[in-house]
Amino acid sequence: MAFIISNVFNKSSNKSIVTSFQIYNITQIREKRVVPKPKLRHPTWFTHKNRVIHDDFVTADNVGFLKEVVEDQRNSLIPKKAPTNIIDWHPGLRRTGVIARKIGNIPLWLKDGTKIFTTMLEVLDNHVIRCYSPEEYNSPRVKPTLVKNKKGCLLLGAIETDPILLTKEYCGLFKDSGVLPKKVLGRFFVSPEALLQPGTPITIDHYRVGNYVDVRGKTIDRGFQGVMKRHGFSGMPASHGVTKTHRRGGNIGGGGEKGRVWPGTKMPGHMGNRYRVAKGLKILRINRKYNVMWVMGMGIPGETNSIVYIYDTVLPLRKPSAALPFPTYFHKDEDVLPEEFYDENLHNFSDPSIVYK
Amino acid sequence: MNIIFKRNFHLSPLRSEIQKQTRLRVVDNSELGKRAMAEGKPPRCIHVYNKTGVGKIGDIVLLAIKGEKKKGVLVGLKQNQKPKVPKFDSNNVVLIDDNGSPMGTRIHVPIPTILRTLLKDKTHVKGPDYTKLLSISTRFV
Amino acid sequence: MFSSSRKKIISTSLKGFRCNSQTAEALQVTNRLASNKTKPSQLKFSRIYPEFLPDPKIEFRNPLREIIERMDMLNRRRNVHIPEFYVGSILSVTYSDKHNPEKLNCFVGICIKREGCGLRANFILRNIIDSQGIEILFDIYDPTIQRIDVLKLEKRLDDELLYLRDALPEYSTFDINMEAEVLPEGSEIPINPIKVKLKPRPWLERWERKNLKGVQDLELPEKFYKRAAELADTTSQYDLMKQYMKTIPVEEQYQIFSEIESELNQLEIAQKKQKRKKSFVKPVKLA
Repeated sequence: MAFIISNVFNKSSNKSIVTSFQIYNITQIREKRVVPKPKLRHPTWFTHKNRVIHDDFVTADNVGFLKEVVEDQRNSLIPKKAPTNIIDWHPGLRRTGVIARKIGNIPLWLKDGTKIFTTMLEVLDNHVIRCYSPEEYNSPRVKPTLVKNKKGCLLLGAIETDPILLTKEYCGLFKDSGVLPKKVLGRFFVSPEALLQPGTPITIDHYRVGNYVDVRGKTIDRGFQGVMKRHGFSGMPASHGVTKTHRRGGNIGGGGEKGRVWPGTKMPGHMGNRYRVAKGLKILRINRKYNVMWVMGMGIPGETNSIVYIYDTVLPLRKPSAALPFPTYFHKDEDVLPEEFYDENLHNFSDPSIVYK
Repeated sequence: MNIIFKRNFHLSPLRSEIQKQTRLRVVDNSELGKRAMAEGKPPRCIHVYNKTGVGKIGDIVLLAIKGEKKKGVLVGLKQNQKPKVPKFDSNNVVLIDDNGSPMGTRIHVPIPTILRTLLKDKTHVKGPDYTKLLSISTRFV
Repeated sequence: MFSSSRKKIISTSLKGFRCNSQTAEALQVTNRLASNKTKPSQLKFSRIYPEFLPDPKIEFRNPLREIIERMDMLNRRRNVHIPEFYVGSILSVTYSDKHNPEKLNCFVGICIKREGCGLRANFILRNIIDSQGIEILFDIYDPTIQRIDVLKLEKRLDDELLYLRDALPEYSTFDINMEAEVLPEGSEIPINPIKVKLKPRPWLERWERKNLKGVQDLELPEKFYKRAAELADTTSQYDLMKQYMKTIPVEEQYQIFSEIESELNQLEIAQKKQKRKKSFVKPVKLA
């Protein structure tokens, strides 16, 4: 609105500028965006997941038969071979992430005796479900013309589940991948060089001890909360003549020209149940037998047993110095990896007690 | 009335956190400290020399003791401590002068060993030397 | 997430207790188990090693994490002998201390609290040294701990002895050069029936509301007991769901301890052998 008006002013005569300026001066710019918002479209894999279970009076024999079909499908899966055109990792390439489960916070000790708190993340049975090259992938949110260095997209699935519980459309997503339907899906933007064939498994060997990761999860749902819990306001006194305003926010704005509630004012509302990212967490220990990694810190969003997404960190100073397995780790027969990896500063519980010198 | 009622209790609540107005216990044998404790007028903290205003173990505090202003080092706290750091039943303080040398010649309660590291870190080349306090202690825990 | 067996057990009243309490319900459970011909050795384990059981808060439990945690705990136990002890036992802990010139430190005291599960498990020791009450919290699986000696193995009437902070000093004063008392093999853990005398108010907590067994008469006006009776929680012991949520079913305790039973037994045997081999050397008392 505003810039159109100013253009009009320039073209009009000097007299009209003075008068019209006085009229239009109070117009406020409330919409920052010049280009119209891109239309929100759902991703292609966004379908109904869970089937409505009707009582179909299926006989016990037929239930057994259905199970057999699923079992046959599982047995007939052919493991994917490693791609031949693998390039070496260099900074600037973006790899895929993994889907994991947060399984708890526990203390560990460093070799100098300091106690640190860590979070355990269980990497689930990840498989690539779909692969979109930069040209194919049509982002639902960002306007395509604005994006430089467009990334490809990998759709990963985790937690194999019973296909009988799922809808036909949802099961159809897994048709070309050669894996059974999965409970959880996750989308990861990757460099075009890091694209993987559908059906490729992604294991915990994708990460190395000492790397830094970002972990995205859904924060604990706390429901509708007041300002004291939601924004840490102090509230008001319990006594001294205060009535009915002990946990309320108080004033939310002034009058006059600003006589309205400003956008972003902290007020009561729904708290939690939003995706948040904890960035730059160091991997301290990896157990390959149980597919568990220990990352530094307790501030990972979500409850225990909730699903999280792990990415290579975006923080510039914590990028890895050594080469990473790229595009992911493919097991070779000559590789003999130990069951556990420890950070060099971390105390191993099998070691004798710490003695200072 | 032959009986003289003496008020030997305090109306303000006991604080386990060291902040302004917290009553402390002098644990060295300095004349001033001994007299203050014997008369039932323990010193009060009137300033904590750190950025939070809450005194932690090894912090330097300013005390109001018998109408005087004296500095002291916190050598034992009631607050919950980290693992392996002792927690005491009283908030103990040792009086020092501006050079960091203690006013008494003996500390009659144990002090935590972590003070060795904390006071060494606090001592700088040209500033007061707080580590003198360690040499008059009788026992470490 | 959790095994279906746990869900089914809601209706039954069989409960395993994490704490060492000798409550009437726990005794009932033992009686019922004895009649069911279940293994008593595994019940013994849950008393000796309470931190091997899952978290009492149901939303923090995860079976995989617990397996890995137990593995780490056993690895640590192979390197240091963590003996059987209870709240009320007198312990001596020798630990590495980088602040001490000898790089070693030792503390003797009565265990007034033991809590936490898994690697978080910890206990508090209390003693009065030079007429100054001192408490130190130790993590059981802290790798800086060199050795833990039980100087006197006994239990008290309560699950927590935090009231010793408000008791007369003689009840928490212990000689730091105390000799270890060895119980004859196979004897039961004695319960010390001592009743401590508290100092007059003000206290750190309102002890009259805590239903304590190990304290003498508190000598309070009648109104304090009246109020305590008003606030007493009389219903939650009948809340089956609440009890279920914070306890571990006995069947699950069996499962957990049957996995690690042989290793725990091996550890015990190895430590007994070691004890017999070298004559008891008293830990060096420092500081």
